[in-house]
Amino acid sequence: MKLPTEGTLRMIATFVAAFGIGVATYIAIADSGGGSPVCLAGGSGCQTVADSTYSHLLGVNIAVFGILGYVLLLAAALLRGDTARMAGFGLSLVGFGYSVYLTYLELFKIEAVCQWCVASAVLMTVLIGLNALRMLGYVGKPA
Amino acid sequence: MNASEQRRKVLLQIGSAAVFLAIVAVAVLIVVSSNETSGGDTNLEDVGLVKRELQGIPQSALVLGQSSAKVTLYEFGDPQCPVCKGFSEEIIPTVVESKVRGGEAKIEFKNFIIISQESVPAGAAAIAAGEQGRGWNFIDLFYRNQGPEASGYVTDEFLTEIARGAGVPDIATWNKARESAAILGEVKRTTEEAQQLELTGTPSFAVEGPGTQGIESLGTPGSAEALEEAIEGAA
Repeated sequence: MKLPTEGTLRMIATFVAAFGIGVATYIAIADSGGGSPVCLAGGSGCQTVADSTYSHLLGVNIAVFGILGYVLLLAAALLRGDTARMAGFGLSLVGFGYSVYLTYLELFKIEAVCQWCVASAVLMTVLIGLNALRMLGYVGKPA
Repeated sequence: MNASEQRRKVLLQIGSAAVFLAIVAVAVLIVVSSNETSGGDTNLEDVGLVKRELQGIPQSALVLGQSSAKVTLYEFGDPQCPVCKGFSEEIIPTVVESKVRGGEAKIEFKNFIIISQESVPAGAAAIAAGEQGRGWNFIDLFYRNQGPEASGYVTDEFLTEIARGAGVPDIATWNKARESAAILGEVKRTTEEAQQLELTGTPSFAVEGPGTQGIESLGTPGSAEALEEAIEGAA
């Protein structure tokens, strides 16, 4: 199977990271107003997750860390070269790993699922795929 | 191998090491998290125990058991009452297993505030949890984490922790409900109801069924067997 060009991978990663910034920003804004993200299909999963102590790390909503992560991933997608390739892979690996952990918390500890968190986890999964392909296919090669 | 290939090899090795470290880090996080006792994000006692004891039994408001059950056992209790705590831990679970789970009877908890006014917000919080199907989880968990009478432990933080441990799904709605005039009025109403039944202490029990003439007071039976016999007599 032919690997997509690095330009294609970077372009898709750019859109996905930008979309991720939007999702994480929405969660952070909804939380900062004392509320919670609204579940599109109804239910109270988002409220339960937002009210749980897991929604904050060091007193900061984890969505804020999400925004930061997606911004860095966006930068890695926009930049060329091995540093950007490795940074993109490393950042998406951290993001994906943390998404796995958060999904575990939702399912087994908080016992509620927030669609916005699921959306972010899906985006992180796509980003790890794109960045892994980019690293495996193009690292060490001319930009 | 030229320099470019050598560099690519090193970078891929770094990438592989990062993958390995990430897998280990996530595994450690999950293991540490799953080893936490009680409710995961609380310091409460017996969160899992209460959940297991009530699992699979229908709840509506503060009624535990199938709505079609012919006999209703009423428990008039004060959330701060230490004797109620003893009943909740040692006597009620037996009755729940023998009479409620199978559908023979249902139990309704009614607030009978006698210890201090600190019990009012606790009772209201239980009713609000009942509106979300976790009333009995709330009451049981409250009793299992009860503090000394009128010592000021019934704070908003404590009640919220109990609600979270009880699995109340929508904490914001629960917060609004527990402070509503309707629910605070309900606490007052059931306390007056207990007084009309001439109950004098907590917990007091009453039973109602095809074999009784209205609600019959049982006082404070000292054993699960006595409550089971009362249920059988009312059937």
